[in-house]
Amino acid sequence: MKNMTKTLFIAMIALCGMVFSQVPASAAESTLKTVQDRGYLNCIIGNSFVGFYTVDKTGKWSGMDIDICRSVAAAVFGDKDKVKFNSVQWAQSFTSIKSGAGDLLSKGMTWTLSRDTSQGLDFLETYFYDGQGFMVRKDSGIKSALELKGATVCVLTGTSSELNLTDFNRTHNLKMTPVVFDDSGVRNTAFFNNNCDVMTNDRSGLAAARSTAPNPDDYFVLPETISKEALSFAVRQNDSAWANVVKWTFNVLLEAEELGINSQNVDEIRKTSTNPVVKRLLGVEGDLNKGLGLPADWAYQVIKQVGNYAELYDRNLGPDTALALDRAGTLNELWTNGGLLYSKSFR
Amino acid sequence: MGNQSISKPELLEFIPKPSRLPAVPVDGFIGRLKKHLFSNIWNTLLTVSVFTLLFMLIKPFLDWAIFDAVWSASNRRECLNASPDGACWPGVIQWFNGLIYGRYPNDQQWRINLGFGLGILWLVPLAFKRVEQKILIALSAITLFPFLANFLFLGGSDNQFNYIVACVGLAYLLILYINIGLIYLDRKILGEYLEPLIGRFYQRRAALLGRLLCWLTVTVLLAFLFQNLTLLLVEVDSWGGLFLTLIISGFSIVMALPIGILLALGRRSHMPVFRWLSICTIELVRSVPLITVLFMSVTMLPLFFPNTMELNKLVQVLVAVCVFAGAYMAETVRGGLQGIPPGQFEAAKSVGLGYWYTMAFIILPQALRAMIPNIVTSFISLFKDTTLVSIIGLFDIMLMARNISIDKNWLGLHTEPLIAISILFFIFCYSMSQYSHRLEKKLKNK
Repeated sequence: MKNMTKTLFIAMIALCGMVFSQVPASAAESTLKTVQDRGYLNCIIGNSFVGFYTVDKTGKWSGMDIDICRSVAAAVFGDKDKVKFNSVQWAQSFTSIKSGAGDLLSKGMTWTLSRDTSQGLDFLETYFYDGQGFMVRKDSGIKSALELKGATVCVLTGTSSELNLTDFNRTHNLKMTPVVFDDSGVRNTAFFNNNCDVMTNDRSGLAAARSTAPNPDDYFVLPETISKEALSFAVRQNDSAWANVVKWTFNVLLEAEELGINSQNVDEIRKTSTNPVVKRLLGVEGDLNKGLGLPADWAYQVIKQVGNYAELYDRNLGPDTALALDRAGTLNELWTNGGLLYSKSFR
Repeated sequence: MGNQSISKPELLEFIPKPSRLPAVPVDGFIGRLKKHLFSNIWNTLLTVSVFTLLFMLIKPFLDWAIFDAVWSASNRRECLNASPDGACWPGVIQWFNGLIYGRYPNDQQWRINLGFGLGILWLVPLAFKRVEQKILIALSAITLFPFLANFLFLGGSDNQFNYIVACVGLAYLLILYINIGLIYLDRKILGEYLEPLIGRFYQRRAALLGRLLCWLTVTVLLAFLFQNLTLLLVEVDSWGGLFLTLIISGFSIVMALPIGILLALGRRSHMPVFRWLSICTIELVRSVPLITVLFMSVTMLPLFFPNTMELNKLVQVLVAVCVFAGAYMAETVRGGLQGIPPGQFEAAKSVGLGYWYTMAFIILPQALRAMIPNIVTSFISLFKDTTLVSIIGLFDIMLMARNISIDKNWLGLHTEPLIAISILFFIFCYSMSQYSHRLEKKLKNK
């Protein structure tokens, strides 16, 4: 009996040792290789966020982040459906990337310094520029955020919106009272039932909320934008090969829009174009794919299967969607139209 | 006694009290109303005020949910235009399939129906009077059915072992039903027909071998019959809705009892290793909220495993919920064990029964019977607790309901789905509690 206890004890220690010794074994191989071997991409998203990732009644995902993930899958495998979406809670998103459960994090996350430096992530590109705003009832007569002195504000707890609100409060000495919620649906209902004077959120979120109001025309989004919310995607830290693939896939979306290539005309242009830039991009000429370790037609597949940035925007956020966000005049225009989206050179 | 004076008490005469008037017979509905609700002025006042209050509370709800509600529309805006103060049910109706089956592909949903149908068929014989060896049926349902269900729900073709066990299970079910038919026709059951054949070669245990041989034959037949059947692989990621809720709660309810019994016995054991391991498990798990256990299993576990190893989220959740439920069940069972008088243990010992026999045939049947209400209470709360998995991103019925409010046609519709699933939950939980009442009554007569 005593012998058995001893053996058991040693076995347990050995087991613990085995389990814990495997922790640092991960960093050696590039994610690109892992993804190619696995045969599909693991994309980390959240539970749901209108316009960015939502599931419909047949279980299909759609949204801006979904399309970003699909375009990476199209670049790597030539098939936009070789991607698995893992929806995780906010706190889990960082560990999922660190543990390797996810290859790409694209869940409408704001690029901030602390997240970039202390969470083991590398943020790569911004695909949507947002900022925090305020929504009020029209009959309140308020025309500017600076008139909000003493107002009660509906806000989601634990978000950067709450922190920004505190900052704004302090800067302008407005003495606003936050009313916190942890569910956006409940917050919206509270606001529409006059439980608070103002609602604050990212402007895209405000647009979504406004469209659910019993009468959207009763509400009005104030002109001030009080924060910078650069929604960006990220990968695991220190993995350049993989980061390049993801980053340049996104640049394909921008470059294609700039060159006027979309999913409808890409076949035509690929055959007929004489423009060397287009030829290089679509893999007709040159060997841009070599450095990335992708097939020659990677960019063609992205454009053919997912589209260019304008198509993504119109499909998920544009005027015909629930969010109905106008793109013209915002930061989310191409640089040629005065926006911030600027593709690096395909050379 | 001798010295005491003996005084004769005076005899009392019995004077009967006048008998009470016969109770005025209360006749009919009106009579009863009068007696119970309007017997005097205060009762009348109370009745009227209570009914007014009830009316004031329920009327707005009924107005909202039924009378002002919209029953057909193609999006929420249409609902709001038709009746801004009424419920908007079409969203729930259109998503109903999603609420039940989650993100399971539409054309494959028959597999879920078939699986649950087979599961129910498996348990139905337990209610028949003339069926014997019910424990065996229950055990087979617990051990074999999961494989059959896994084969049906998951599909795919690369798991040979699972396919064979599924065939074994299906064969068992088939034989069970044929035998039930034969028993009710007063014929011999299937295995007995093979008995003389086997008896020729091997006399001992011919009955048992006959049954096993029959089982084996049917299994092989089934395995050949279905060998070309390939079901489309449906990844666990797309399981969801009530289906997933039932899988998680069903599995953990089934597993909680054995885990709980083992932990409870371990805690009362005299062997220090087992006792302390049980105590540690129970106390550690019980002093942490379920959501923490879930987060631990989903977020922390992958950190301990190599990168390449893909952990199935559902398996992680099942393990976490089973351990959690087991720890609570252990304390319930221990309560039952402590209620058994020591005489029972001593009696069992004096008859010469060992530890396991004492537990299995003397102590546990009594302890579990006494604890039925508590056990069912923890089952019900476990069933409801499984909605927490929606927080870690499993598309159970709760998350599907919340997704309705994010669908672009039904943006902001979040009250109606919650009411709909509350009704579903009520149906399930109430039937569980009714079943436990019936079970209690049935076992009391024994």
